[in-house]
Amino acid sequence: MTHSIINNKSIHISTTAEDHHIAKLTAFAIGLHILEAVIPSPLPGVKPGIANIVTLYVLYEYGFATAAWVSLLRVFASSLLLGQFLSPTFILSLSGALMSLGTLYLAQHLPKKYFSAITLSIFAAFGHITGQLIIVRLWLIPHTGVSYLVPVFALSALIFGLINGLIVSKLLTSNH
Amino acid sequence: MRLFLIFILGFCLVGCTKPEPLYNTQSYVFGTLVDITIFGEPEARAQEISNQIIHEFQSLHNRLHAWRPSELMTINHAFRQSSVAVAIQPDVAAMIADATKLSIQSKGTFNPAIGGLIEAWGFHHDEFKPIKVDENKISNLVKANPQMTDIIIQNGKVFSNNPSVQLDLGGYAKGYALDIALVYLHKHGVKNALINIGGNIIALGKHGEKPWRVGIQHPRKPNAIATLDLESGWAIGTSGDYQRYFELNGKRYCHIIDPATGYPVQNVQAVTVLIPPKNNAGTLSDVASKPIFIAKPETRAEVAKAMEVENFLVVESANKILVSTAMVKRITWLDKDAANHVVQIQP
Amino acid sequence: MLQIMLFKFSHNHNFPKLLVGDWLIVITSFVLVIFMFQQFWSFEHASKLKIRQGNQIIGIFDLNQMRELHINGPMGESIIVINHGMVRFKQSPCHNQYCVHQGWLSHAGQVAICLPNQISLQLMGGKNIYDSLNY
Repeated sequence: MTHSIINNKSIHISTTAEDHHIAKLTAFAIGLHILEAVIPSPLPGVKPGIANIVTLYVLYEYGFATAAWVSLLRVFASSLLLGQFLSPTFILSLSGALMSLGTLYLAQHLPKKYFSAITLSIFAAFGHITGQLIIVRLWLIPHTGVSYLVPVFALSALIFGLINGLIVSKLLTSNH
Repeated sequence: MRLFLIFILGFCLVGCTKPEPLYNTQSYVFGTLVDITIFGEPEARAQEISNQIIHEFQSLHNRLHAWRPSELMTINHAFRQSSVAVAIQPDVAAMIADATKLSIQSKGTFNPAIGGLIEAWGFHHDEFKPIKVDENKISNLVKANPQMTDIIIQNGKVFSNNPSVQLDLGGYAKGYALDIALVYLHKHGVKNALINIGGNIIALGKHGEKPWRVGIQHPRKPNAIATLDLESGWAIGTSGDYQRYFELNGKRYCHIIDPATGYPVQNVQAVTVLIPPKNNAGTLSDVASKPIFIAKPETRAEVAKAMEVENFLVVESANKILVSTAMVKRITWLDKDAANHVVQIQP
Repeated sequence: MLQIMLFKFSHNHNFPKLLVGDWLIVITSFVLVIFMFQQFWSFEHASKLKIRQGNQIIGIFDLNQMRELHINGPMGESIIVINHGMVRFKQSPCHNQYCVHQGWLSHAGQVAICLPNQISLQLMGGKNIYDSLNY
């Protein structure tokens, strides 16, 4: 996307319109992430994950690699802005994002005739909670009490995955 | 009026906050865990009664020990010398007569005369090691065909026509002890109690307003597979391959031996029987599960009927659990996996 | 005003359509969620552990800690480990090691016993599921 031209005077990195667009989307994702971080949730760890809407949108419009960039950039930048860099929250966010991306990498090739963004969103959501639960169980709360949360997280992944998926789907169709 | 209501409320609160008079004690007798629960008696009395019962159990255990010097060993020693008679206590004589009757009823699958076989498999120790059994020895012991009917009791003396008869009342004594305990409790006016000897349980009365509730151990997990209510006088017993066993080369050898083959049973994990109130409910809860455990799978229902058992449960494997029609409605499943693999059978 | 908005929304032919595969995934996920509730919410987690040796109650311990207990019985010392909601026999002087093989216990009502060393572990939760265990 970006390419650099090195001449004897300076390094000039030229950006395309596409780059600008992606940058805006990333900023939007960061904004959504921070918005969500500020709003309290009734249960720890249960969040609508609205920043994932951007991730999915980018996946459809610009491909997996870009979506991965946007997603990870969002995780790092948000944590820096919120002063949570390298904190447990950051680790959870990162593990969720990584697992979510992994799931999307596998699911992205599902035939579009039968599976829309809704499916991918649900997959991503479940991938996300899996990544987070692994960290929680192994590191944060090595307590069997964690198993109480699993069904609750699963339910929220289903609901919010569905809602986010519907939103992405709507955004994609209204664009084309 | 208000004062009256407050008074009533206060009264209720006092009633509600009174602690349940439940007394519980655990002891190690009969080579196993004995758990006595008494409800509705002052602690001092409950303690005294429990201690007495434990004392009786200990005495019975010592007299009937299958491999340490005891009355039973003295009898076994005499049996080995064929036709040598020894004196026998009336209660032991009664036990032998009763066990003989049950052995006949079970067509020989319940056979306390096979002490020799049990010892050959190494189960005559508190702790046992995996052994590679001597196949010849086993087949000889089976050929010798020790039967309860070989035992003759006359004039307060006992002898055996067959020197291979060696009594091991392991599958009888715990149940018998439950009956003894119940008689004792009745005699001393205790109305509500639950006695558990190594997993065999008999109930008296209720746990306050509710019946006593017992859990049934899952043969392979540390949980209860199901629960059921044990009403007054009812007894429950389980024969399992997970209580006393050893593993050798990936195979499990449990302490329940088929007298016909001389080898431990290997096609079933547990058999639970429920016995309604009668004089020997406890004894039957111990004895009656064995024939069903040893029976060929297709004949289990038939064997249960021969033993007059209507309520039974058989865990053959994780995927096959048989429950008699009468038992089905009594059971509350705790293990969903198990509940999904239940087959109902008519005795 | 609200009625007009709702009317517009419900008759909006741009509402995203769920495809065949989507329905499949949604229904499967729903079933999975039900299954999770059944699996994880059916047992009551134990909060306390009662340890007995012989006919004495050694003590009642909170399960929400990390602790190793050394209990002496007639055969020697058994080591019991409490680890945040779970408990197990780590070591025992018995020969057959049935107690150690029981592994971790975490649900109310579960019991592990070392018969030769006369030590019993009993997990207690809010209410007792049963009064005694048949085995």
